[in-house]
Amino acid sequence: MSARVLDIFRFRRKRTPLHALDPRAKFVMLVALSAASLALSDAVSLSALLAVEAALLAVAKSLREWARSLAGLSTLLLLIFALNFLTLPADRLFVAAAMTLRFLCLTTAFSIFFLTTTADELAAALEVSGVPREYSMMFTMSLRFVPSLARDLQTVADALKSRGFELEKGGLKERVRNYTYLLVPLIVYELRRSIMVAEALEARGFGAAKKVEPYVDLSLRARDYVAIAVSAIALCAVIWVVASGVYGSFVNQVRAYFPQL
Amino acid sequence: MALVELKGVRFRYAGSDRYALDGASLSAERGEFVLLVGPSGCGKSTLLRVLNGLVPHFYEGDFEGEARVAGLDVRSTPTHVLARHVGMVFQDPENQLFLSSVEREIAFGLENLGLPRAEVRRRVREVLKEFNLESIKDRAPYELSGGQQQKVAIASVMALEPEILALDEPTANLDPLSALEILSLVKRLTSEKGVLALVVEHRLELALKFATRMVVMLDGRIVADGAPRDVLLRTGSIVGYPPVVVTHLLLKRRGLAEGSIPLTSEELARAVIGRWATRYS
Repeated sequence: MSARVLDIFRFRRKRTPLHALDPRAKFVMLVALSAASLALSDAVSLSALLAVEAALLAVAKSLREWARSLAGLSTLLLLIFALNFLTLPADRLFVAAAMTLRFLCLTTAFSIFFLTTTADELAAALEVSGVPREYSMMFTMSLRFVPSLARDLQTVADALKSRGFELEKGGLKERVRNYTYLLVPLIVYELRRSIMVAEALEARGFGAAKKVEPYVDLSLRARDYVAIAVSAIALCAVIWVVASGVYGSFVNQVRAYFPQL
Repeated sequence: MALVELKGVRFRYAGSDRYALDGASLSAERGEFVLLVGPSGCGKSTLLRVLNGLVPHFYEGDFEGEARVAGLDVRSTPTHVLARHVGMVFQDPENQLFLSSVEREIAFGLENLGLPRAEVRRRVREVLKEFNLESIKDRAPYELSGGQQQKVAIASVMALEPEILALDEPTANLDPLSALEILSLVKRLTSEKGVLALVVEHRLELALKFATRMVVMLDGRIVADGAPRDVLLRTGSIVGYPPVVVTHLLLKRRGLAEGSIPLTSEELARAVIGRWATRYS
């Protein structure tokens, strides 16, 4: 299940307007969407937000990937709903539904960003924004080596299992102990890998020049400015609606509409 | 002075009491294809690491002797300077490809040198064309087959236009056909561009036919160095005889083949045909 959940954040190369957008424009969009997810607290407006996000995913031709990963996420969503529903003193259904939707909206906002932005683009955006190359590279690499780490984990687990070691055996305490057996060789494995990666970086002159011009030419085009402007306006609108109290009275109205919840 | 000039190099990794290199001397010139063989742990990889200064800069330890590469003293030249002269390719392609597209991968080394973007773009285009990678330039390296990955790894270091190419078991993770392809590519670079290739390789049956020279190492020392055929004759007991040589030996003992030991199956066939021609003429 865990790997499928992460699929929601894995980049897929496609030719869509959203993929072509500058990563900085997409970042502003992400900020606006996340801020809206956190600011809104009723199921009706969060559903509307989710609809906007779904429309963006449709533009990015990524609805199917998103929906598929959602199946893996459903346990977590149910858990959030159940915990809220069972522990709240009042307005249980109303708030529990809103919290679940909020989590979904927030995850989807990040999903839109990561499904359409490569690690390289992101790193280039960081570099252009003044983050040192060492750090942006660290970021790229940490994303790049996730699949390798997953495979190494599988290799070590298989090696242990093929010698008769039962990882999933016993109670919680025993399982935790079992996983430390898995962890030690894995750490050794990854340390060795990191040395090899460092060697390869050295061999390609990493760190040779103080000033590096990134290969990806990031220049904001008209559509990027439009995306940034729309996101910024949306962000301001959400802030205004919440701060001015308009939103509060809206929520009260919604609540009054469903008195039994 | 030769392009690579090692004189009595001794090196002991920090924390180890054994010398990984114990008085290795080697001198090599442009255009050579040097096959470096020997049992595991004999110091082959360490020798390659001396070339671009990973030893003694990245791996610290006791370094004695003299090592000059492209006229530069390895001990006082940082690896990123030597990287312009020595392209290093490692065994596992996965650990040397970091970026999300082949094109970016090739640009990476050039970027690191601080070249202007237009210049980087131009060289990337050339390299993509030269290595026939244009059709996969947008693919992510980790989506490619092992052979293609290793090809990208070679292309990405060749983008820096080094005179020396050092490959540490470049075909260990590859199937025989891809391995053959990679070694022919290296051979082409030596004969067409005059690159000096130093290749650590265990699969003699694949690599021998490309080599112009064979160097055998044992316990940190170079125990044989010369034409592949001669070296193989002298040190077969250390490095093992490839199947063609064994077959030739058996056939010769029964009077079914003639001549010196073959390095390829074509040569073996010729040795057998030659024997039959002399018998029935």
